[in-house]
Amino acid sequence: MSKLISNAAVRGIVRLGNIIVPGDGDMPSYEEYGGYEHVDDLLEHAPKSDIGDLGLLLSVLSFMPKFVLVWLVNMMGASHGKGNGLWILLRQLDMGIRGIVLSTYYTEKGGASFSGTAPLDGIDYSITRMED
Amino acid sequence: MKDFIIVGSGSSGGILARSLQEGGADVTLIEAGKFFRKDTFPRTEAAYSSQLFWGGGLEFDDKAKSAYLRAKCVGGTTNVNQCLMNRFDDMAMDDWRDRSGIDWLTVDALNPHYDKVEDLMELHTFEKKDFNRNAELFTGGCDKLGYGWKYLRRGQKDCKIEEGNDCIGCLGGCQRDSKQSTLVIGIQVAEKLGLEVLSNFEADTVVHHEDHVVLLGEHEGQKKELSARRMILAGGSFGTTKILLNSGLKKALPALGKGFCQHPQYMAFGVFDEPVDSHKGAFQTVASGDPNMRKAGFKLENVYAPPIAVGMLFNSYGREHQRLMKKYRYMACIEAAVRDQPEGGELDVDKKGNLIVRKTLTEQDLVRADKGIEAIHNVFAAVGAKEVVDSPFYFGLHLMGGCSFGTDPNKSVINPDFQVHGHKNIYVADSSVFPSAPGINPSLTIMALSQKMGEELLKN
Ligand SMILES: Cc1cc2nc3c(=O)[nH]c(=O)nc-3n(C[C@H](O)[C@H](O)[C@H](O)COP(=O)(O)OP(=O)(O)OC[C@H]3O[C@@H](n4cnc5c(N)ncnc54)[C@H](O)[C@@H]3O)c2cc1C
Repeated sequence: MSKLISNAAVRGIVRLGNIIVPGDGDMPSYEEYGGYEHVDDLLEHAPKSDIGDLGLLLSVLSFMPKFVLVWLVNMMGASHGKGNGLWILLRQLDMGIRGIVLSTYYTEKGGASFSGTAPLDGIDYSITRMED
Repeated sequence: MKDFIIVGSGSSGGILARSLQEGGADVTLIEAGKFFRKDTFPRTEAAYSSQLFWGGGLEFDDKAKSAYLRAKCVGGTTNVNQCLMNRFDDMAMDDWRDRSGIDWLTVDALNPHYDKVEDLMELHTFEKKDFNRNAELFTGGCDKLGYGWKYLRRGQKDCKIEEGNDCIGCLGGCQRDSKQSTLVIGIQVAEKLGLEVLSNFEADTVVHHEDHVVLLGEHEGQKKELSARRMILAGGSFGTTKILLNSGLKKALPALGKGFCQHPQYMAFGVFDEPVDSHKGAFQTVASGDPNMRKAGFKLENVYAPPIAVGMLFNSYGREHQRLMKKYRYMACIEAAVRDQPEGGELDVDKKGNLIVRKTLTEQDLVRADKGIEAIHNVFAAVGAKEVVDSPFYFGLHLMGGCSFGTDPNKSVINPDFQVHGHKNIYVADSSVFPSAPGINPSLTIMALSQKMGEELLKN
């Protein structure tokens, strides 16, 4: 599906994405929306070294039990305003992972088979662009 | 051989490209990013965030405490900024003069250059009729509390707001050449006069010679070497400092990389029962204009952001994240920007030549931030916000310093004639030369300094 990261890494994004945006009555879950199918649109512009490291980590995370991922996400959230050492890594992960998840969720491009209320419609976001 | 190569095409490079080309010089403008124009700028937040910015969206300091936004495209950060145009005041210039020892750094001396760059663009000062609800809430709260506020002045022409255009869209580049970026007021004008623009060209190092300068870099992925009689570095605080560090100048210039400032910005959201629609219309029309806040070292800006950025700023997960995002239309937003001390910031490179940003907020910076955040809470309370959500992050949009101006080569990098100390053919007038944070939007002053430098180069 992705030409830049492995299927396992994509699976890692989807599992983390479902924790970050689980969905509710009005909004699809991360997986249901399927924006991750277009993850290469983002990754092709990211520094190559970042993609390599993140891809590897996401692949490892894809095999972890859900409670480990929930714990990790909570730790990432708690890392801001904290000190150095491991907190630095958690903050970097938080920005990297949430950056990918939110950029492939609050976007016009959903998965090929998605039908339903897209996240941007769910939050009622629209803007008018008057072209020249 | 070319007369000038300009490296970087933002506030500084775009203005210089025009003034030097108009003055009859033979100029090449190189830019690490791509060449987008009004009809090719990406139209969605996800697309423009990844395509127009360094780091594929965001960059961070070495401790991942602060995020940075700087553009990588022809026109530089002027394509993605709000184009608010402010002149500096005596407080900012007095501090610059004290730190640099340069006596021409006064408001009076800069005024003719401000006049000349302002003549290149259309400027609009907002009025009450331009307000969206976010601005009404901000000014209403300030009025109740006795906080001073002011209308902002923006470089724009024919934005079609009254016909329904939403200005937040142009944070990813203006689709109608209305925003007065240096792409519009500088580069596209100079192109008609024969300016050569090489995009996708990242400069790595420069080598100074008695009568010319050699630049080494990569163009479209291929190693390339260019020479010119004079080299102008206009890559911004991060870009220019990185080139000079990688060129091995730190030994001769110990101040290189020092004094990085960023105006740390803290955003908070006030949640209301009725839609606020902060993302609609002219989306940034007012800011604080309170002398007490100026003295206290912070200002309040009435802003907002598109959904991905807002989601990132909340730092919440799961149901709480979704609850907040469903309030997107019901949020007002204010940001506190701190006038930070240069002592806490330093730019460096690692062994591979990658940029490292070290930034520690000083005690004074933190006190200023607390005061700013408290003022935001007061404004939201005064207008009856049901809930206030503070973002735990701070970030930098105004990246300044690293190659500070000054008379003393031990304490500064650029001399009063805009030359790198001891390297008479390398010039800099971008945001890297700022000796300290002004606490005021920087781009108009970068343009004015660049205009002054361009004029002096043409005289010689
Ligand atoms: C979202 C946002 C909103 C802002 N709003 C305002 C505002 O309303 N008013 C205001 O005054 N300021 C604003 N700013 C800040 C302002 O835009 C910048 O301070 C200003 O543009 C800096 O000018 P510069 O010429 O130093 O650098 P830039 O404008 O950043 O230009 C530097 C250029 O050099 C290129 N470059 C860097 N390194 C290299 C290299 N090695 N080789 C080739 N090219 C290179 C970069 O890609 C870039 O295009 C805003 C900034 C942001 C991010």
